Amino acid sequence: MTMQPLYIISACSITAQDTYNRENFLNPVRSIDDGRLFVIDPDYTKYINPVAIRRMSRMLKRGITAGMRSLDEAGIKTPDGIIVGTSRGSVTDMEIFLHELIELDEQALNPAGFIQSTYNSVNGWLAMLSKCTGYNQTYVHRGFTLELCLFDAMLMLSEAKEKKHLLAGAFDELTPEYFTIRTKINYYKEQLPNSLNLYKHDDSTGSIGGEGAHFFTVSNDPANATSSLRSLAMLQKPTVAELQAGIDNILKENNLDKEDIDVLVCGMNGDSRTRSLVDTAINNCSANTTVVNFKHLGGEYDTASGFGLWLADHLCRTQLIPSEVTCKVGTSASVKNILFCNTTIMGNVSLMVVTSVN
Amino acid sequence: MAERVVVTGIGIISALGTGMQAHVTALRNKQSGVKPISLLKTRYANDFVLGEIRMTSDELSAYAGLPVGDNGHTRTALLSLAAMKDLLEHVDIELLRAEPFAFINANTVGGMSKMEDIYMDVLRPDTKQENIKYIDTLDCAESTERVVNFYNLKPFTATISTACSSSSNSFILGARMIKQGIVKRAVVGGGDALSRFTLNGFYSLKNVDKNLCKPFDQNRLGLNLGEGAGFCLLELESDAKARGANIIAVLSGYANTNDAYHPTAPSPTGEGAYRTMQEALAMAGLETKDISYINAHGTATQNNDAAEGLAIQKLFGTNPPPFSSTKPFTGHTLAAAGVIEGIFSMLALQEQMIIPNMNFETRMEELAIQPATELVENAGLQHVLSNSFGFGGSNVSLIFSKP
Repeated sequence: MTMQPLYIISACSITAQDTYNRENFLNPVRSIDDGRLFVIDPDYTKYINPVAIRRMSRMLKRGITAGMRSLDEAGIKTPDGIIVGTSRGSVTDMEIFLHELIELDEQALNPAGFIQSTYNSVNGWLAMLSKCTGYNQTYVHRGFTLELCLFDAMLMLSEAKEKKHLLAGAFDELTPEYFTIRTKINYYKEQLPNSLNLYKHDDSTGSIGGEGAHFFTVSNDPANATSSLRSLAMLQKPTVAELQAGIDNILKENNLDKEDIDVLVCGMNGDSRTRSLVDTAINNCSANTTVVNFKHLGGEYDTASGFGLWLADHLCRTQLIPSEVTCKVGTSASVKNILFCNTTIMGNVSLMVVTSVN
Repeated sequence: MAERVVVTGIGIISALGTGMQAHVTALRNKQSGVKPISLLKTRYANDFVLGEIRMTSDELSAYAGLPVGDNGHTRTALLSLAAMKDLLEHVDIELLRAEPFAFINANTVGGMSKMEDIYMDVLRPDTKQENIKYIDTLDCAESTERVVNFYNLKPFTATISTACSSSSNSFILGARMIKQGIVKRAVVGGGDALSRFTLNGFYSLKNVDKNLCKPFDQNRLGLNLGEGAGFCLLELESDAKARGANIIAVLSGYANTNDAYHPTAPSPTGEGAYRTMQEALAMAGLETKDISYINAHGTATQNNDAAEGLAIQKLFGTNPPPFSSTKPFTGHTLAAAGVIEGIFSMLALQEQMIIPNMNFETRMEELAIQPATELVENAGLQHVLSNSFGFGGSNVSLIFSKP
């Protein structure tokens, strides 16, 4: 069965680069040596009132702001539904409540951390601020979290008989404690390179840490769209052969040949365990294809694919491919068809076909 | 009209026991699973009552077919495995391997039940070896992946977390995917294990009654927490009939809306709950008079019962169908509440019984209606409405109908 393409009307990303302001988001390029690409926090007072903002943790402010700005840029006051994903929710809030629980021995606890660490708290706030009483859903599934949100949005727009706008997005937070914990399961490299040199160190396991919030206003109506997400596939720990079959399949679904792919957005993360998967994706490129990547700019986290989708849409908008994201230059003169292949530390892979909309 | 999605298998574990029959017996005999604390390690062990599953994690491991001891499975994952095991006693696993299916799980705090015990050790440079096994179990997808891997399945997988409505949302996603032809079948549900984190979270919000909870009672003081897990098999009615499956109930309507009112409290007029029930009825093509029993969310918190009670009264009038909260039996099982109470709704249809709202004494001042307090047999039930509402303004209603 074919699902309705998602027309992307607006995209807002808060990342370690200045993607929030979009123009010149790589000027200057931010890099780090300690393996932790924390985001650049924008001015949060634009979308949240001063009384509410005082009690909010940074993840809540970040998720709300990215979502509201996406709606704002799309010119949509109230969407028909809100679909948000997060692998771990507001980690800081969880840590605050858990530490208090342990240190105060379960006495006189402040409920704020408990409430804000609830995985759907950003959903609730976005619904309140956009007065959206419609469909509201939260996915929490590791490396497929954003993908499930996009999948649900596609499903919903396929079911719809009339024009609809949905707000779909995902966020995750990096904290020092979370970094410590994930280091112990080889999520991050033992010898941390400068972030810009991440891919030169792909002979060792792990990546570098990151965080971000990525929201997209999507519709079944192409009016005002900059790009469309035409297909989406989630491959669970694929072998190289399974990934190849997945790529063949998604290209065929969209009547695309390898030569038609102008850009491959590659979620390479410098982890030796995913190198063969990354190579498989790159081997599918023709001479036309420019290969770009982004995890040296935003780091690796469960919803990092949001940065990749933001970048794919950005390339469609601007028709310019910055050298800072390019790892192989192709001959194609325009950005029409993009294959996005995201590999995660756990070995899961998501594939998306994104096409520019004029 | 689109083809109907039906439920053809049920797996359940709660404070009332394991499997459908244990639950039918307990509900019929008014045997509550909410008791003084026996397992949860908390300073309030002598103060609160909980709907605990009276099996240690080792006992659950043994039941699920895992080695006992530190096997890397949190209690949350073990409860999910136990519910799946129960489901697979009624469903041939090969059915799940033969054709595309979705496994949609729901969860609110992942493996917090374990992580809160070992967190400080996990942060130390020399974390104990036995704790390393649990180090990445805090996220909600952990139990989902554990079930899929244990049974060597390759489904479309998803994990949902919308607080106390989480597993009701699993039903909705599963049914939508089946109707769109993306998968042939879906196993939907969710689970949560008790933790100090959630107990203290609700306690710090002054939402916990130290004694037995009293849903829809004027003098209610809050909820009792519980734990559990449940999974149901969904498929198209025609597919179920073609393979001669026993159809337990039809999932004839569902709705998901948001209050857009407050981070944790429902809109006081029950507007959100009202609209959700109304949308579910419209989808099922039913009128209010067609609903023969409502399994309410009924947490026994001040806010929920006032809002839900007003919503029921507004939609169904002052002479509504019998309604009850079954949380006095199981405690509030959070992410599992939707699926467990969905199963109770189907059980009510199958057994033709109205499950009583225990511990009720005094009608609420603001309401002209009150819950059903006595067990009714041969109740002539045709359609049952099941509500689940959660933090973040999340509202879900499901309607189950007699096949």
